[in-house]
Amino acid sequence: MRADIDSLVTRIAGSSDFIKLDSTKCNMCGRCLVVCTMGLWKKKGKKAYIADDYKSRCVECGACYQVCEADAIDFHYPSGGKGVVYERG
Amino acid sequence: MKNYDVVVVGAGPGGSIAAMEAANRGLKTIFFERGRRPGEKNSSGCGLGPRMWTDFRFMKELTPEVCPSMRAGAASRSYFVNKQGVVAGYVMARPTESVSYEPAKSFITMNVYRSDFDPWLAAFATKAGAELKTSTLVTGLLRENDRVVGIIDEHGEKYRGLVIGADGVVSMVARQSGLRMRWDQDHVTLVPQYDFAVDPQRIDDIMGDETLAVWWSALFPAAYQVFFHDGFHLGLGNWMTWWDKNPLYYLDQVVKLDYFQRLVRVLDARPREYHAHLLPWLGSPGNTHTDNVILVGDAGGFPCPLEAEGIYPAMITGRAAAEVAADAISSSDTSKEFLDLYDRKWQQTSIGEEFKTGPELARIWRALPFSPKETMSWFVPMIMEILGGILDWSQPHAVRVRQVMRHVKLYLPQAVPFIMRNVLPLLEKILGERMDMLTSPEKLIASMPELQEAIASAFEEKEERA
Ligand SMILES: Cc1cc2nc3c(=O)[nH]c(=O)nc-3n(C[C@H](O)[C@H](O)[C@H](O)COP(=O)(O)OP(=O)(O)OC[C@H]3O[C@@H](n4cnc5c(N)ncnc54)[C@H](O)[C@@H]3O)c2cc1C
Repeated sequence: MRADIDSLVTRIAGSSDFIKLDSTKCNMCGRCLVVCTMGLWKKKGKKAYIADDYKSRCVECGACYQVCEADAIDFHYPSGGKGVVYERG
Repeated sequence: MKNYDVVVVGAGPGGSIAAMEAANRGLKTIFFERGRRPGEKNSSGCGLGPRMWTDFRFMKELTPEVCPSMRAGAASRSYFVNKQGVVAGYVMARPTESVSYEPAKSFITMNVYRSDFDPWLAAFATKAGAELKTSTLVTGLLRENDRVVGIIDEHGEKYRGLVIGADGVVSMVARQSGLRMRWDQDHVTLVPQYDFAVDPQRIDDIMGDETLAVWWSALFPAAYQVFFHDGFHLGLGNWMTWWDKNPLYYLDQVVKLDYFQRLVRVLDARPREYHAHLLPWLGSPGNTHTDNVILVGDAGGFPCPLEAEGIYPAMITGRAAAEVAADAISSSDTSKEFLDLYDRKWQQTSIGEEFKTGPELARIWRALPFSPKETMSWFVPMIMEILGGILDWSQPHAVRVRQVMRHVKLYLPQAVPFIMRNVLPLLEKILGERMDMLTSPEKLIASMPELQEAIASAFEEKEERA
């Protein structure tokens, strides 16, 4: 199921950016990599980063923001009327 | 700047009831929803608890005509999955004889999709006169002299009024009002879930009215399965402190069970949607309000401490917030001190009653279904030994009973500390002084070895003779 997870999510494109990482605050604890069910957080060397195409794959759960105790991840919801649509939530 | 009495952020169950109750009290009310319609951003199990029918009279108007996804969760199955991934047994249960009112006698939960339910609920608020603004993200709180006086939306539009934060678990209102930046990691859970499509007739034929299930397991945190008119949800969660790998790994452990796969085949169930959502789950809500701001529902941390039912608590706290808002506005005092009344109000409700034993309830859930490796790994075989051990033809029945007892005894070193740490404190809190005798750990520890000894000798001796 995990392999085809993207095909199970519907989205409306066009939101402005809604997740930002402040690399100077990131302490590489790695929690965002663990809890993001969509696997959008990655690390390269000693830096965490979020996939370029996160806006078209994020399900807006906010888990990355919640676990980031270093306060390096800024998250707010996408623009009104954009982003994920749960038809059968 | 637009002036209102009450500005509600969020049109989930908490926001819609707050807006409805505020409008019913003659307050000029607006509520905001970032989705194009209420509900399209929200995911739940989603069973509605029967207390909603006693506290909100309009609930009897919820019918399949207005909410096509409805299906009563009349009976529930508890599957017990062992370490080997085998369903070692299951129990089916319906509302018991002690359940005291309708509709709780007829169903455990009423199952609905949020995309049906939330818009239906929001319509009661707009009918009462509250203004609903959809497709609008509220981005900030408006301050004057360092005091919150209203909100600002993504277009820079400003709205003045008492702010009710009904904006859910990742609450901008909580953050910007200084009430909470983020939850403690063990006060909030992450819950991924799949929706499967199933032909309604097949659900009727195969499941009957057994349309709720909990998968208790030693391999994954307890998973729930909730059937709707034409599909079901399968989901599971745990606190943020617990996850050691992608939560989907654990959800897929359920999907992979042979037993589950067989169910998928006979139901001809097809994966249709995927959701992930946070859910606050804590023993006692704190920081629920400040000057000119009240938090309701998930934003305030109100889901039930045992099973995290959150829709009813959101509605109850939404109502309490609107009542307090009306009092505060008519007294021209929306200070934190005046709004302290809010805590006293919700504490007097059925939700307040729940939170009297909140820490104990949350602790037991954490220690049992949400500790698959530590607890469920012995709990499942122990329960199944008791439930299934007797119905067995491998020995004369008296010998079997002794075998079962001896086997159960093997689990006592784990079960006894578990009961003392998690079950007795809860019973003590609920039953009060009458529990004195049983809940004194000293007395219990003192008598335990004798008790074990007695059980052991009784059975072992006879076993030899048998
Ligand atoms: C997977 C899962 C299963 C669950 N199962 C059950 C169950 O079976 N039964 C049950 O009773 N409870 C269940 N719960 C809990 C329940 O879903 C929540 O407790 C409940 O939805 C809380 O209601 P609310 O109104 O406080 O918040 P929400 O329902 O989250 O509503 C908040 C609303 O505010 C909107 N919003 C947020 N921020 C903004 C903003 N800045 N601007 C504009 N709009 C905004 C959101 O789009 C949303 O519509 C479950 C939760 C999860 C995650």
